[in-house]
Amino acid sequence: MSILLLALLGVCLLQSTVAHRLAIGGVQPDLFLVLVFGLSLSTRTELATVGGFMIGLYQDSLSGAPLGLNAFTLSLIGFLVSQLSRQVKTAEPATRFALLFLAGIVSGLTTLLVLRFFQVFRPVASTILWTVLPGAIYTAILGAGVLAMPRLRGMRGLGR
Amino acid sequence: MTRLLVRYRRPLILSSTLLLSFVLMTLQVRSQSPLADLTKRMLLTTISPILRIAAVSKATTVSLWKEYIDLRRVRRDNQLLREEVSQFRVQVGELQEAAQENSRLNYLLQLGSPSGTEAVAAKVIGKDVTNWFRTILIDKGGKEGIQRHMAVVAPEGLVGRVVDVTARAARVQLITDPESSIGCLVQRSRVAGVAAGSQAGAVQIKYLPLMADVVVGDRVITSGMGGIIPKGIPLGKVIRSSRPNGALFQETEVQALADFSRLEEVMVLKRPPEGDLPSGGGKRLP
Repeated sequence: MSILLLALLGVCLLQSTVAHRLAIGGVQPDLFLVLVFGLSLSTRTELATVGGFMIGLYQDSLSGAPLGLNAFTLSLIGFLVSQLSRQVKTAEPATRFALLFLAGIVSGLTTLLVLRFFQVFRPVASTILWTVLPGAIYTAILGAGVLAMPRLRGMRGLGR
Repeated sequence: MTRLLVRYRRPLILSSTLLLSFVLMTLQVRSQSPLADLTKRMLLTTISPILRIAAVSKATTVSLWKEYIDLRRVRRDNQLLREEVSQFRVQVGELQEAAQENSRLNYLLQLGSPSGTEAVAAKVIGKDVTNWFRTILIDKGGKEGIQRHMAVVAPEGLVGRVVDVTARAARVQLITDPESSIGCLVQRSRVAGVAAGSQAGAVQIKYLPLMADVVVGDRVITSGMGGIIPKGIPLGKVIRSSRPNGALFQETEVQALADFSRLEEVMVLKRPPEGDLPSGGGKRLP
């Protein structure tokens, strides 16, 4: 758990200080999603879900999003990825990339739906085309790269 | 019941988190509840000190980095500026040199002006290589209309006269040369004599009567006798005067006004033109 907290702290710092510098065309990688993804691959579903919820809450607190928006999305992602990782071999970088990409798409679409539910309307097509899709690709590339690093490959201690 | 909970714990946990998230969002968006704001503020409070430290660290790092970059740039600029300063110093030196030369030549021209004598400026290009004679070599010669016996002056006073001429150069006998003899006057008392050089490099005034009024500090000028050297050119200053017993003339020593050790430019005074101005070879003074 302490490692998770440290990782969360690190991601908070990186996302708030560095990520915007890595933005390409205004799209920056979602390091919180990468963290939840890594957590989901390395721990039980319950912890991944709760962890996703907590991480999402922190993401909400650091953004202008209503509290709970990212908590909702990331807890769902944590649950889904954790469930999928039981059925799919996730050791391959390509698989991780694909899963992370899917997670990004799901996260984006869920956010879009939830916002719509709360009467915050965004143009669906252009949001998917210019925000969700590039964000998912960028996050998948970066996340797959980060998770492929030798020390992070296991990420087994993340949930401890 | 417990078994059911354990069995469906995952969907239950997911449902709980989703529901909680939904409630939080509803509280904030729909009912503007302070609870959501408070929660958000609490979360932010836990992370903000670290973010602040990170921001400060980042700012410090960026500042240090920029200072380092600036320092490197400053060092490079400094190097360039030093090189430029060196070049400018050389240029300034050259300009100062030119200005001084210009000033000296102007003075020389003015010196030649009152007598209405045509003058040619020349640079000293060599000095006598023996201890027996005291001459200098100048860079103007017959091509510029310079002839033997022409007077040569410096800004301070008389230098000597031309003794040898080639097409492009001329040799000038200094007034300190042992063979030099020039008619002179003590400016204050108008006593006439002959300024002659000596082996020691001093100028002595010969043929001054014992009763002549000469005191230390008197200025000595050329007398114009002989018609070669114009009258009134400063020659020197009396530094010693004595009347030895039994001698026919005073022994008077004069210090030349021109500093021969630092001569760089001189002016050769040509004879006053007869009739119309010549078409070339020199510069007509106003």
